[in-house]
Amino acid sequence: MRNLIKFIIRSSHWIVATLLVAFSFYLVFSHNSYQRSVYLTSANHVIGTFYSISDKVNSFFHLRKNNTLLLEHNARLETEVQVLKETINRFASDSINAAIFTNDSVTSSQFNFIPAEVVNVSFSGPNNFMTLNKGKLQGVKPDMGVISQSGIAGVILSVSDHFSVVIPIVNPKFRVSGKRKNSINSGSIVWGGIDINYAELRELPKHETFLKGDTVVTSFSRIFPKDMIIGFINKQVPSADDKFNAFEIKLATDFHSIREVMVIEDMYYDELNALETIVEE
Amino acid sequence: MKTGIIKDIILFLLLIALQVFLLDRINIFGVATPILYIYFLIKMPLGSNRFYVIISGFLLGLIIDIFMNTPGMNAAATTVVAAFREPIIKLIYTRDAYDELTPSMNTDSKSFIRLSISLVLLHQILLFLIESFTLFNIELTLLRIVSSSILTLLIIFAVDALFGKKSVVSEF
Repeated sequence: MRNLIKFIIRSSHWIVATLLVAFSFYLVFSHNSYQRSVYLTSANHVIGTFYSISDKVNSFFHLRKNNTLLLEHNARLETEVQVLKETINRFASDSINAAIFTNDSVTSSQFNFIPAEVVNVSFSGPNNFMTLNKGKLQGVKPDMGVISQSGIAGVILSVSDHFSVVIPIVNPKFRVSGKRKNSINSGSIVWGGIDINYAELRELPKHETFLKGDTVVTSFSRIFPKDMIIGFINKQVPSADDKFNAFEIKLATDFHSIREVMVIEDMYYDELNALETIVEE
Repeated sequence: MKTGIIKDIILFLLLIALQVFLLDRINIFGVATPILYIYFLIKMPLGSNRFYVIISGFLLGLIIDIFMNTPGMNAAATTVVAAFREPIIKLIYTRDAYDELTPSMNTDSKSFIRLSISLVLLHQILLFLIESFTLFNIELTLLRIVSSSILTLLIIFAVDALFGKKSVVSEF
């Protein structure tokens, strides 16, 4: 008995260490992507604030690049405005029916966009994520899609009042179905784990062909609207399964320079979800 | 004793800030990321209280985890390293090395390098194994471990050779 007590006292630091390691592993395995605690991630308010400060300092170094990007974006929009103006003019000048183009039948869209800024990114391993500066109070909810100016970017994982954490395409947990534009066969987009510029489009039928540079867009998705750009096909890669084709795609979103994004709010998400749950039961 | 704790706290916070805001964003060739915060455990005096080492190691890992959104991973790896620090020191240092001695590049560089290599390697192996439990192939994980360890060790030796000197001078 005395020996046992002696043993316990002598090795008590091992016991403490074992308990702490056990607790850590509990955290590792219990953080299922959907019930992840807000307190132990960067959606936490304190951590979020730290990151916003660090981001403010950082953003100065990106000003020049962002300026060029904004200018380009502006130019593109300007062109679009011109085209639209011309269209309106054409209709307005040669037809008395112009009224039908100017009536107030503004249909409400299924999707609503919430602009947000990326305040932190972590792209150094398999566990990539981004933190945004919009949260619950601005209407962001888990499972909403996130897009950048050039393509889809990720999906909201957890939200706090003012911040939210995004799982980007370049995370092994991210899945979305995609297809070649103008094709009817969809496959799934999976990230390979190394290069954040590339992902793979897998599980396409054997007969599916491609041209380099073909656009890959979203197909059936509860999170993204149809036909949003994901990336562009680069080359064919060996598929794990011989029954399918797999392509490497260059992602449209440049995760190295991502700063401004938009969160997609789907007005019918809850309705659809409820309906499908009933069917599943 | 008091100044020792304050020094520890400053180093603790400094390493976390450095890791989270700077080093975590470095990713050479897509594989090597320096993980410097383990320097805190290397720099503790040889005879530090075991509980103090283990609990501060756990807290260090946990705070890094919270910042990097990886609950538990760094905490688990760092706690194990902290627990094995004493047995490893017993292997490397002679029995007559006195308890207040802080491992340093400038006093006993051979032992310091051996201690750093063992702790960093152990830490990296644990970290990357936990991180890639189910997801990735073994070659990539090994490459990550080796390249990140080398990068981390280079930074540790450089930092210690540069800043370690000051504390030795001030002790005289």
